Amino acid sequence: MKNILELHDVSMIYGPVKALQNVDLNIREGEWVAVMGSSGSGKTTMMNIAGCMDKATQGTVILDGEKVSRLSAKDLTAIRRDKIGLIFQQFHLISYLTAVENVMIAQYYHSMADENEALSALERVGLGQRAGHLPRQLSGGEQQRLCIARALVNHPKLILADEPTGNLDQANQDTVMDIFRQLHEQGSTIIVVTHAPEVASHARRIVHLDFGRIVRDVLNTDGSAAKDSVTGAISL
Amino acid sequence: MNRQKMYLKIVFSSLLRRRSRMLVALLAVAIGATVFLGMGAIYYDIPRQMGREFRTYGANLILVPSGTDSRMRLEDAVRAEALVPPDKLVGATPFRYETMHYNMRGLTVAGADLASARKTSPYWRVQGEWPEEENQVLLGRDISENARIYAGASIELEIAPAGGRRFKREFKVSGIVSSGGAQDGFVLMPLRTLEALLGSPGRAAVVEMSVAGDSAELALLAEKIRAEVPGVTPRLVKRIMTSEAAVLGKLRVLVYLVTAIVLGLIMICVGTTMMTVVAERRKEIGLKKAIGAGNWNIIGEFLGEGLILAGIGGLLGVGSGYFFARTVSMSVFGRGVALPVFLVLLTLLASLAVTVLASLPPVAGAADVEPSVVLRGE
Amino acid sequence: MFFRMIFGAVTRQKRKLLMMACAMALGISLATAMLNVMLDVGDKINRTLRTYGANIMVEPRGVAILSDLYGVREGDGVADKFLLEAELPKIKTIFWAFNIVDFTPYLDVPASADGSENTVTLLGTWFSRHLDLPTGESVNTGVINLKSWWEIKGNWLDDGDESGVMAGSVFAAQRGLKAGDSVRVAVTGHDGRKREAALTIRSIYHAADKEDEGLLAPLALVQRLSGLEGKVRRVEVSALTTPENDLARRAAQNPRSLSRHEWEVWYCTAYVSSIAYQIEEALTDSRAKPVLQVAASEEAILQKTQLLMLLLTLLSLVCSALAISNLVTANVMERGTEIGLLKALGATDGRISLAILTEMLIATILGGTIGYFAGIGLAQVIGQSVFGAAVSAKGLVIPLIAVLVFSVTLVGSLPALRILLRLRPTEVLHGG
Repeated sequence: MKNILELHDVSMIYGPVKALQNVDLNIREGEWVAVMGSSGSGKTTMMNIAGCMDKATQGTVILDGEKVSRLSAKDLTAIRRDKIGLIFQQFHLISYLTAVENVMIAQYYHSMADENEALSALERVGLGQRAGHLPRQLSGGEQQRLCIARALVNHPKLILADEPTGNLDQANQDTVMDIFRQLHEQGSTIIVVTHAPEVASHARRIVHLDFGRIVRDVLNTDGSAAKDSVTGAISL
Repeated sequence: MNRQKMYLKIVFSSLLRRRSRMLVALLAVAIGATVFLGMGAIYYDIPRQMGREFRTYGANLILVPSGTDSRMRLEDAVRAEALVPPDKLVGATPFRYETMHYNMRGLTVAGADLASARKTSPYWRVQGEWPEEENQVLLGRDISENARIYAGASIELEIAPAGGRRFKREFKVSGIVSSGGAQDGFVLMPLRTLEALLGSPGRAAVVEMSVAGDSAELALLAEKIRAEVPGVTPRLVKRIMTSEAAVLGKLRVLVYLVTAIVLGLIMICVGTTMMTVVAERRKEIGLKKAIGAGNWNIIGEFLGEGLILAGIGGLLGVGSGYFFARTVSMSVFGRGVALPVFLVLLTLLASLAVTVLASLPPVAGAADVEPSVVLRGE
Repeated sequence: MFFRMIFGAVTRQKRKLLMMACAMALGISLATAMLNVMLDVGDKINRTLRTYGANIMVEPRGVAILSDLYGVREGDGVADKFLLEAELPKIKTIFWAFNIVDFTPYLDVPASADGSENTVTLLGTWFSRHLDLPTGESVNTGVINLKSWWEIKGNWLDDGDESGVMAGSVFAAQRGLKAGDSVRVAVTGHDGRKREAALTIRSIYHAADKEDEGLLAPLALVQRLSGLEGKVRRVEVSALTTPENDLARRAAQNPRSLSRHEWEVWYCTAYVSSIAYQIEEALTDSRAKPVLQVAASEEAILQKTQLLMLLLTLLSLVCSALAISNLVTANVMERGTEIGLLKALGATDGRISLAILTEMLIATILGGTIGYFAGIGLAQVIGQSVFGAAVSAKGLVIPLIAVLVFSVTLVGSLPALRILLRLRPTEVLHGG
């Protein structure tokens, strides 16, 4: 199966801080990968680079066969729009748009706003009944599910989630992980950045970061439904 | 749903659902527009309004007989008056001077159209009443004090018509006029009464005209009268015009400076407010970029919001600005204020400019907003 | 802790608070400038209006009955009466001496020029006479200052020029005279003697008035020719006055009708009638009359200008107050997250409000102080560019400004605080 994301010798340096150092990582289509590490390990930096929101100071990034590491900000925007779905810890919904409109705005920037499609995306995350509510009228779990619906609606090649359950209680966390499992089963590629082992344990592959380096990259076979043909990791 | 509809939905939702912030922005624009239009209208209207006020000073254009004649024909004066635009003519008063005697002493008697004299010489102070009947006169204050004749008494004047017999006539003194000028030594009576007593009607020694307008307009008017009405010679009262020009000029500069300063400061305030309102939305810009918005999407959305804010705020401002200018004008001059269309358009344009300019830094900065700001846990 | 929080906010949120302070500084400089100009505009316009010329005419008592408008002066039993030139400096010693801008005496005598039958009026006056007052001050006053609108071809005369004369434009045109020509003037004096003098025309003046038909000469020369040494016929006075009110109008009719208190108020206010009254007190047997044509229109213009400026000031103050409180509101609203956090940490509404208000006040008071001084500068710019004179800084402005700063800050902060405090902390923190 082909690689959806390849990082070759990627480093990210903010002044004296080396957030990432010579990282190599390949992620295949359909994989569900958890990137783990403590605070300051470089998780978020990696997410930014993978999500085409930041450019690495050094190294090559290839997304869906395209070399993105040297693209302009404008082209990166286009890549983000077409290929990536983002899920944030803080949800980041637009406060003045309703649930369905928050989904539609992603469609709008992508191509065409389609209310029916947006509604079905909401259905998929179980928010069909709350389409007309504003973000502040939704609970934390609902806001996160809305965020997921927004990330899904354009059928991205890669779903990136940054601490998706960081602000959620156990019940909501389970709901979100269920959604991820379904997405995974339907063939989506998912990268979840987290510090919580419990969240990581749902993924099929776990990459450990520490001080900006990948220290461990293992397959998670004791995961709950490891029946997919997830193949081994590429070594360092 | 097509793109335009979604665009409008985004813009209107932003305006309607973020009510308190948008009200702040709207208020800012409306205040700016109010000051702009209000001060603008006042500045524009000041010369006209103040020019009228200066007419308290009395006649600024005097018609005298041409050549060596000592009297002019009133028809000529009427023809000259007709050359003045009616909205500029405050009044025109013909005067005729004769000598009569009281207790063997000569007195100057001025016959005038007293109703219009009240307009052309608003500074006269009359104790008592203005004459309403044929045999009533106004007595100059100096005569009144010297002869001890006060309002309500009567005075007997000896009249010697040209080529006729002397006779005496008793007049009722309806009031005492004082001006601090020549009138203090006159007896003033209606022109018709004087004509009935002395004959040769339809003549005047001088016609005092009070015309609203600046010195250039008046000079032009005088030229026109000189050319078209040969029987009269127009004379401009120079010192009034010089003073008017001086005071009006200073007032204009004063109001201009004040307007400029107030406008400048208000615009800065409005701009800062708008910027504060917009600056708050850095995170929103970052998010939109993260989910795939291009710079033009963001600029378009902000401009759309700005346009609507500027339109509504500008219109509100035009309304309240007109009210502002009208209030000032009514209470200072007792007259309404003109509202030129170009000023309304200018106000709307200015509101738009200030809104757009204020959104410019954050929107231009949108290009620089790293979408990754949304991922840093702020 | 409260102070540490405030200190932290003030020092670390420098940019935002600086912006507030700047906005306040701008607003207050506007207010200061407008208030100072407004309070001073009366005086300034009054001085400009002096270009109208004299607003008080002083004549000997009892002479005024036959006006000189049509030359009906001589004969008919009007005894010639005069004022004394030596007394004139007293005009500058009355209660409102400071308000007397200029004055000049006139002595007009009929004269014949170059033996012509037609008499011409020879008018003697001060051009720019230097006076040393008993108070120790010295002033220059005369017709040059009073008749600023006259057009002079050449220069004004010098008071000491005993052989020079200025010719009116009409007189010069009739006789075909120009500057540099000489004219023989003969005057039949008051004592019946005829005196003659050969005078040189130094310049031609155009007054657009009846003076154009005559000659203008130094007072001393005319007094000598007419044998009226030390005497003047009338004095024109130009004074800064206060617009009249009811009291002034009643006093103008009869000062004795006022009560003692009213009389004192009237006497101690610069009404044209009270200045005229004081001149009468100073000069023996004189009669000082306000020239209502000038006085009344000055009054009208002065009142309108002051009212105009007052309203403009008020309205622009209201607008800038609104604009600034609006800005304060925007600023406070921006801090929703911070307020939510503080609430989540258990701060009471009162404490949060107090902290934010204190911060805002520190910024606005700082801005206000800077603005006050900037405003005084701005007022000077306006004063210099419009009136060519400095605008005096009035102390009254300071408390007004202080009230403005406080109320604007409070009015701006409170509604925003109320809105934000009503929110639940979670909403603010999680509201997206």
